Amino acid sequence: MSASSFRIAVYIALGLCALGLLWRLSAWLRVRIGPDARAIPFHRRLASALHGAFSFAFSRRLPGVLKAFLLDVLLQRRLFAEAKVRWLGHLLILLGFTALLLMHALAALLTQKLFKGYQPTLDPYLFLRNVFGAMAVAGIVLVIAGRRRAQRVAPTAHRLGDRVFVALLSIVMVSGFLLEAQKIASPAAFQRMVDEYFGEDISPEDLSALKAAWAVDYGVAFEDAAADPDPALLETGRELHKDACASCHSLPTSAFVSYPVSRVMGPAVRPLDDVDAAKWLWYLHVFACLLGLAVLPFTRLFHAISDPVSLLVNGAASSRPLSDAGRASRRALAIDACVRCGLCDTRCSVAPIARFMNNASLLPSHKLLSTFRFAREGRGRLRDGARYDRIAEGAFLCSSCGRCTERCPVGLGLDDLWTAQRDDLAAAGHPAAAKWVQSRTASEWADLLPAPPGEGPAVAPLSSDRRTFSPCVQCQTCTNVCPVVAHTAGAGDGVDLTPQKVMNLLRLGMVDLALGSRMVWDCATCYQCQEHCPEGIRVTDVMLELRQSAYRRLATVRDRRRPE
Amino acid sequence: MNGNRTRLFDVAVIGAGMAGMATSLFAARRDLSCVQVGNGGGILFASGLLDLLGVHPVADRRRWDCPFEALSSLRRDLPDHPLARVGDDALRAAFEAFVSELGAVGLPYAPLDGANHPVLTSIGTVKTTYAVPRSMMAGVEMMRSRPSCLLVDFRGLREFSARQVVAKIGADWPGLHSVRVEFPGFEAVSELYAAHLARAIESAATRDSVAERVRPLLGDATAVGFPAVLGLSRSGEVHERLQQSLGLPVFEIPTMPTSVPGLRLKDAMEAALAAWRVVRHVQAKVTKVSFDDDVATLSLDDVPGGQTIRARSVVLATGRFTGGGLSAGRGHVSERVLDLPVHQPGTRGEWHRRDFLDPAGHPVNRAGLATDGDFRPLSADGRPAWHRLFATGSILAHQDWMREKCGSGLAIGTAWTAVEAISRGLQAPRKAG
Repeated sequence: MSASSFRIAVYIALGLCALGLLWRLSAWLRVRIGPDARAIPFHRRLASALHGAFSFAFSRRLPGVLKAFLLDVLLQRRLFAEAKVRWLGHLLILLGFTALLLMHALAALLTQKLFKGYQPTLDPYLFLRNVFGAMAVAGIVLVIAGRRRAQRVAPTAHRLGDRVFVALLSIVMVSGFLLEAQKIASPAAFQRMVDEYFGEDISPEDLSALKAAWAVDYGVAFEDAAADPDPALLETGRELHKDACASCHSLPTSAFVSYPVSRVMGPAVRPLDDVDAAKWLWYLHVFACLLGLAVLPFTRLFHAISDPVSLLVNGAASSRPLSDAGRASRRALAIDACVRCGLCDTRCSVAPIARFMNNASLLPSHKLLSTFRFAREGRGRLRDGARYDRIAEGAFLCSSCGRCTERCPVGLGLDDLWTAQRDDLAAAGHPAAAKWVQSRTASEWADLLPAPPGEGPAVAPLSSDRRTFSPCVQCQTCTNVCPVVAHTAGAGDGVDLTPQKVMNLLRLGMVDLALGSRMVWDCATCYQCQEHCPEGIRVTDVMLELRQSAYRRLATVRDRRRPE
Repeated sequence: MNGNRTRLFDVAVIGAGMAGMATSLFAARRDLSCVQVGNGGGILFASGLLDLLGVHPVADRRRWDCPFEALSSLRRDLPDHPLARVGDDALRAAFEAFVSELGAVGLPYAPLDGANHPVLTSIGTVKTTYAVPRSMMAGVEMMRSRPSCLLVDFRGLREFSARQVVAKIGADWPGLHSVRVEFPGFEAVSELYAAHLARAIESAATRDSVAERVRPLLGDATAVGFPAVLGLSRSGEVHERLQQSLGLPVFEIPTMPTSVPGLRLKDAMEAALAAWRVVRHVQAKVTKVSFDDDVATLSLDDVPGGQTIRARSVVLATGRFTGGGLSAGRGHVSERVLDLPVHQPGTRGEWHRRDFLDPAGHPVNRAGLATDGDFRPLSADGRPAWHRLFATGSILAHQDWMREKCGSGLAIGTAWTAVEAISRGLQAPRKAG
């Protein structure tokens, strides 16, 4: 490839990257999550973001923010607290990748100008390149291992771009090492250098002496290399090497990764020379780099931009609450800043329910993506109601314990995001079960339910067992101590049945009539009734069980509802 | 509560009714470490009035103005009666201790004067009792002198009708009148629940509003009676303030169980036990008790897989049939936790007399555990079943507390005596060998 066509390729990649970045960055101001965010136009969010950034840069909070940048962004203290192995892996990738980028990829722009006598084949550069490359590879292995471990606890959501980055990075690293190994052992490369340096000015005797030295010291796989060269010849070769080559070539043992690889490749290097392998490996290496650059905004690497911004916005928001517009933008930013590490899923307090209900959209990392899809597809284009019912099930089973927010290694404001998602779902006709149940009265629900009433002991052990409620003497204690009854008394939407009436319905075998009742659904599960019941009836446990039964059974006839 | 597995308690009380509560309280007051197991709901059937002994002999329905005179009669007639085995001094001390503990946690009682008191009930009858909550005491004085008096009820509160009370007792109490008012804040509610009103009236605004609604209706009344809904956790304060704003003595009339005074008693007992650091397992049942030489091990069902607690003495305060301490089968009555022998009529045919409402009661009503003088239940061979196993309250045989009006006396008196014996036994040096 000529220098000019290489340059053109770089510019194309840079241009694509810039366009992509513009698109992705603008999404932080475009994507609307939550009914409150829908009311805020683009220009107000832009103004708010600019104003925020400006006031932030010129405030006394700057030292604190710089500290946050150092601890949160560079040293990743949040990740360190949550997952040590992945923190180490991440740090290795970050350091190795950045160092390679600056020292190696941008050598022409930086290293060459800063360090006189820079040669990629000279120490310390040769050695450092292997160090950085090894760090990055080790980091990738550690991160993947840590992720595997998290996956065993809960399946983590992912997007296509997540894997593209890891794949490209792996290709760059592996092709880089292979390229170096191939060049170390390649007789063709040796010949090219000899031709370039000596031209015609080298005698055949000198050439064979030099070859002997390079075969022994550099492991170049000459076809005609003697296994045990003449010591005098070797000595001559080494002298020649010292004069001609040593100023540009450190010993290959410094390349502690590539050199052993080249030894392993051994004689295979020659046939590879025949097909010009070094050239193709170089193409692969550079093409993967440029492709990575071009699609950067759509891969995991984008988190290198979105996460620092997110963490700095956190820093700003910690001292002064964000405006409505700022909050709306922060939600969109959170979608991009999530790296789907899956740590939230492993900490989620309702994760066991996700397994039990076989509904992964309950887990935070999945919810984040469904939140985004919902925002993108919009309320008007809901084609797949059942899918959204599933998402809503997950969204409303969330117990809002806040553990995902608290422990997110990139500090995303997930709690706010989930609230916005729930509001969005409710507004689009997928509200919480306790809401859609209210579309009919308890007796209307009972009429809708298909014939075989009740459920067996396997799913409803309490309400299907007469012994649970037969001791009830209807003393009203449960009702007397019920804060829900007390609170809604007098209000127009008071509970329809009191707890002791629910018990009475069970005694009468009219379970179906209790399922849609407001008492069952509004129960705060404070356990006052159960703790006070003079007969020791597990009133609250029964309420909970009825609610579960109702959720299962009423959902089957739910589509006959919706008067739209 | 993980530590309870390994901890060795001095006393384990099974049951959380009046007897279980009193036993736990007295044990804790004697610095015995105490654990209590049982659903605490049973005490809600209490009225807040603490009977000692009101009626004896039941066949004659003879009421006594002095419970201690009744006791000496009882001791002569029924020497096996559990109360007959509790001394007067012990009963006085036990009641004093019990009501002073309740007073300390915000449920004050009128001073004990050794006499029984007549209390007007929500159905217009008169009940004889011993210890009266301070909020009801003015009613006792009114019952005795029967001056002009106003009874207030609240529209929608089904368990209390002032008119019904007046209709029942008015002939003997001409100055008694009834009025009905709306309870402030509940005007739109058709069905009122006593506990909700009791909570609402703890706010000063609601209390003042009740006083304002009643004040114009007072007429020549010298005292005002309300259903027992005057506060839940702060009943003493509500009663006091209502008297101040009405300028007249105010009294509560106990309502049918389960009632607000029952709730107050439950809450107060729980607070008192907490203050004395009694460990409680409220949602648990004892499924098994095993004894070795010196330690009893109780198995509980409150956590999946169960858990155990260990104690040096055990008190069975599980009550009779409603409490679940005794169970009536087709042929005979059995004790449910340890299957101890139950003193009972020989055959089922002898359980009941011919007339259901026979004032003498039925033989099965006196079924229960036979004990020695320390209230240690006896095994089939007539010896204590275990040397530190005790029984208190209504599970004991030879009493008919409902007809004798001695439920609280039985619970409190036997608890006191049993705890004394436990305390003695735990302090005594171990027998050699």
